[in-house]
Amino acid sequence: MKTFPTLAELSDTTILDVSQAAGEPAWLADQRMAAWRFFAAAEPPFWRRTDLSKFKAEQIAAAIGASATSLVWERDPAGQGVVFAPLLQALHTHEAVIRQHLGTAIDSQRHKFVALNAALWQDGVFLYVPQNTAVELPLTAAFTMPAPGDAIVARNLIILDHGASVTFVEEYRSDAGAGQAFAAPITEMFLGNDATLRFVTVQTWGEDVYHIGAQKARVGRGATIEWSAVNLGARVQHVEAETALEGDGSRVEWVAATFGGGHQNLLTAPWLRHIGAKTEAHMDFKTVVKDQSYTTFDGMIKIEHQSRATVSRLEEHALHLTPKARSDSIPGLMIDTNDVARAGHASTSGEVDEEQLFYMRSRGIPRDDAIHLIVMGFFEPVLDRIPTEALRQRIAEMIEAKI
Amino acid sequence: MNSDLVIKDLRVSIEDKEILKGVNLTVRAGSIHAIMGPNGSGKSTLAYTLMGHPGYTVTGGEAWYQGQNILELEPDERSKLGLFLAFQYPVAIPGVTVANFLRAAINAHRAEEGKDPKETAIPMAQFRKQIREQMAALSIDEGFARRYLNEGFSGGEKKRVEILQMAMLQPGMAIMDETDSGLDIDALKIVSQGVNTLYEQHPDMGVLVITHYQRLLNYIKPHYVSVLMDGRIVREGGPELALELEEKGYDFIREEVASS
Repeated sequence: MKTFPTLAELSDTTILDVSQAAGEPAWLADQRMAAWRFFAAAEPPFWRRTDLSKFKAEQIAAAIGASATSLVWERDPAGQGVVFAPLLQALHTHEAVIRQHLGTAIDSQRHKFVALNAALWQDGVFLYVPQNTAVELPLTAAFTMPAPGDAIVARNLIILDHGASVTFVEEYRSDAGAGQAFAAPITEMFLGNDATLRFVTVQTWGEDVYHIGAQKARVGRGATIEWSAVNLGARVQHVEAETALEGDGSRVEWVAATFGGGHQNLLTAPWLRHIGAKTEAHMDFKTVVKDQSYTTFDGMIKIEHQSRATVSRLEEHALHLTPKARSDSIPGLMIDTNDVARAGHASTSGEVDEEQLFYMRSRGIPRDDAIHLIVMGFFEPVLDRIPTEALRQRIAEMIEAKI
Repeated sequence: MNSDLVIKDLRVSIEDKEILKGVNLTVRAGSIHAIMGPNGSGKSTLAYTLMGHPGYTVTGGEAWYQGQNILELEPDERSKLGLFLAFQYPVAIPGVTVANFLRAAINAHRAEEGKDPKETAIPMAQFRKQIREQMAALSIDEGFARRYLNEGFSGGEKKRVEILQMAMLQPGMAIMDETDSGLDIDALKIVSQGVNTLYEQHPDMGVLVITHYQRLLNYIKPHYVSVLMDGRIVREGGPELALELEEKGYDFIREEVASS
């Protein structure tokens, strides 16, 4: 069995060797090297709400060349001209379009871990949907952490041409097993005019995984992204997610369900940028915490100067099942224009409502069962958007087990 | 076992303020019993206390039903014993559909200690048939089964869904807390008819109708009427008492009580 250097032992020669051995084009090798140099020189990011103090890079193998990606579909969309393949493999057939987009949504020098991804990525998927093509059934990329001490550095590139429509699911899961593991996935999404992307991202890692991810969607004129995030697993999660409503009339429906238990430390930092005219956003973020867990919603809505007639609505609600659990909410709103149609924000945080509990118990439902129903109901707007019954079932069972 | 609800010297406080000051009342199985009283007399406190709301502190007295002092039971245990409260202000449960909620309630009632809940659960087909029939009887659109419980419901819709729950759970003793409040005359007729139908089908059921106004009693005809005032039952009688109250208002009783 091949042993890999740990994250702490990597060097530029490793990066270059691997890239050359794979026969990668020079531009990609250059990208990787530039990112690597940034990674090597950069200080670890200072994140007040993400605890990396117990993260041991020297115990994590950078499993270069290994593949943890599996692609799942019910009907092969290739017949429609859709490309759905591992990104490395797609380089052989679609180099030009990959080169044109890769790394253009998320700056590789955003922070150390983004740079690490840009330097090391091997796993990940390329999805391209041609003009005016509607893919009916969902396409799934599943990433499975094989064992403790491993790393998954996945890079997903999703491109929808004009009028295309597709449901893309990315799933992060572990086979059970104690010990630290590391994931640094990046997903870049490009929506052409009038395209529709239903993006579902489901993080259900095992309990000692450090998950530091970045996701961004650039949304063209008249295009819509329905973005649904589920965050249940990992020891530490730090996900920076951004929707840029660049085209006029572009829209996002953004929902998220986060459930922290045990000693989990889960942070989501959604950024929403209104850039085009008449863009519309609805965000509904739900968080449940229990035990000693700590979650953070670190959101920012920016209504840019050139935007006009923006509609933006943010809802974020947190439910505390036990008194020691903690959830922070740091919503921000920056408005750089006088032309806003509607912008609103609603936020709540608290324990399970006693009146709801009493009402349910008065119908014979025992307290614990009532709490289960309330929590499942709380997450329902997110569960409702999970496109396959099997995945919805699996998520529901994980939530039930956590309650 | 006694299926009457027997309340003895019930005293209840909210945050150290005594609201019920020794209520004595028997609601007989198979009877419709109205409790009337002005605002602030303690009517809702009585309803909530009988169901076990945690915000009300029982400082004295007993309430016996089915051989148990129900004041010692949890709200869900009281429900399983056969008690039901139709809320004046039903609570919304976001994300939980009417159908799922009802199924959870019915299955909780059917659950037996030491048995797998899956074994005792109501078969899906039977549940669907029941809920469809009961919704039709209450003129509730079928689509309501898939709506989130009480979320965005109008006043009339909420009350109808309360009666739907009552019809599905078939309690032995139903408490209706100001069921007429916020209802227009059409909704009032539908809701009353729902209660009457259920009563006809289950003539052993006791119904405690709590109301400020006589209006509701035109549609749900009581056998007994008790008047609650300042935390005590001050008059008891037949249906004619409700009519007398309608005519003279609560003041005449207040004066009687004061002078006696």
